[in-house]
Amino acid sequence: MSDFWDRYGRSVSICHRLPPVLKLALAISVIVAGVAIPVRYWPAYGVLGCLVFAGHSIAGIPLGYLIKRLLIFLPFVGSMAISLPLSQGLDRGWDLMWQIMFRGCLAFLVSLWLVNVMPFEQLLVTLRKLKVPAVVVAILAFMYRYVFVVWDELDKMRTARNARSFSGGSLWFRWKTLSQMIGMLLIRSLNRAERIHGAMCSRGWDGEVRWLDDQN
Amino acid sequence: MHIQDGYLSTSVCLATGAISLGAVGYSLHRMKDSLGERTVPLTGMMGSLIFAGQMVNFPIGLPVSGHLMGGVLAAAILGPWAGCVAVTLVLVAQWALFSDGGLLALGANVLHMAVIGSIGGYAVMTTVRKLLGGGYRGTVAGSVVAAWLAVLAASAVFCLEFRLSYSAADFDFGNIFTLMVTLHALIGVGEAIITGFVVSVIYQQRADLIDAAQTSRNSAAASVSRVVATGLVCALAVAAFAAPFASGLPDGLDSVADRFRIAAADQSVSGLFTDYDTIPMAGWQSLSVSVAGIGGSLAVFAAALLIGRAIPMNSPTIAAEASGE
Repeated sequence: MSDFWDRYGRSVSICHRLPPVLKLALAISVIVAGVAIPVRYWPAYGVLGCLVFAGHSIAGIPLGYLIKRLLIFLPFVGSMAISLPLSQGLDRGWDLMWQIMFRGCLAFLVSLWLVNVMPFEQLLVTLRKLKVPAVVVAILAFMYRYVFVVWDELDKMRTARNARSFSGGSLWFRWKTLSQMIGMLLIRSLNRAERIHGAMCSRGWDGEVRWLDDQN
Repeated sequence: MHIQDGYLSTSVCLATGAISLGAVGYSLHRMKDSLGERTVPLTGMMGSLIFAGQMVNFPIGLPVSGHLMGGVLAAAILGPWAGCVAVTLVLVAQWALFSDGGLLALGANVLHMAVIGSIGGYAVMTTVRKLLGGGYRGTVAGSVVAAWLAVLAASAVFCLEFRLSYSAADFDFGNIFTLMVTLHALIGVGEAIITGFVVSVIYQQRADLIDAAQTSRNSAAASVSRVVATGLVCALAVAAFAAPFASGLPDGLDSVADRFRIAAADQSVSGLFTDYDTIPMAGWQSLSVSVAGIGGSLAVFAAALLIGRAIPMNSPTIAAEASGE
């Protein structure tokens, strides 16, 4: 499950070999074009759509994966877009709804392409090159490193809860229990952060982020 | 809650992006003062925690389920500035890992969840806490009220952005406003309950974490800016309820929208004022908004009281949970 999001990020293709800055620029320009082009120039959308699918097929991302991801995404974009005609008594707003759905899906597919041709650590290196403040990149790197640890911790707590035959109860009780789990997770994570901070200090950490020369 | 690309026009995305960039830049500048060399591990771990905490699904008795958003929670532990940075970076990572939330819309998402959620939420929380005289009750009640108001204020800002994105002839703004605010009054109740429970657990186990974040800023300038920020969040929340009532006249929000649109000047200005006048406000609209407002407020205050009562201080069950496993 943990590789579901960027499963094809480490495969090899022309798309993967492009310079990272170019990949980022390509994705951003297609998204901007998709949002900015007025609807009356609709043939341009066809071109963009073809471009996106060409990008996915060159990168070797299977159609089945795209469909699976789109099926997860559609309820989110759909529920928000459907609120437009709903709020207008179902007689107006349909055009806008389809426009939002289409643009949303297009931008989503472009983001998906970027995620699957650019692993997170490459994104971090690219952000460094683009002169994003060092502390921001350091926090992002730290977050990426520890989110899986915290996830594991959450899994352990869930297992422990299930092992004690936690069986529902009222909605209020379940919310209380789940929130307490998050609270305990937070305390444990912060304790862990304090331990890590101690370990970092003992290795000479002074709050200043230093990077080796970027080896891409 | 995440806005995807395609909802808002490019100019609105750029404008919200610029506001968010300024706010996050200032937060970066300020957070080093309070956290010092602990900035990276603490903020990074908070980000990971919000990330993981959002994976916990809260059942609501329907096929869909809710989850934590975490702006107020981050601010309660880290203070407003580092909290804002942590939530911002969570949003960046969610886009970069999950393709969740748009890239162009990132500015808007950061504005709603990090800037309003953390900085605004923190201001409300400290103000309420002070009014109730601090302590356990004050802290929990403050976080509950702050979480609810932050969600509501964010929905009001979203409506404004939406209004600026599309031509007024395309839709009836008042109806969308009503729907969005009603929906978010309910979502906000969920966020308020979760935040209140989490904060109450933390206060019982590690009150020092919250007290440290709460007492670090006590200068006169800080309290002035806190009052301003609190006022702003409350005003947005009030605007969320009041705007549909002021339908007959070009009210504040609408005329602000018009002024911005003239400045942006990317679509024709004619016919902006006519829209509100020609469509009569149905009675059910005002009614549903006030019902949502009153019901939501009652629910939030009831939740604050219930959470305070449900978990007495130093309850043995939580202590056992802390030491167990």
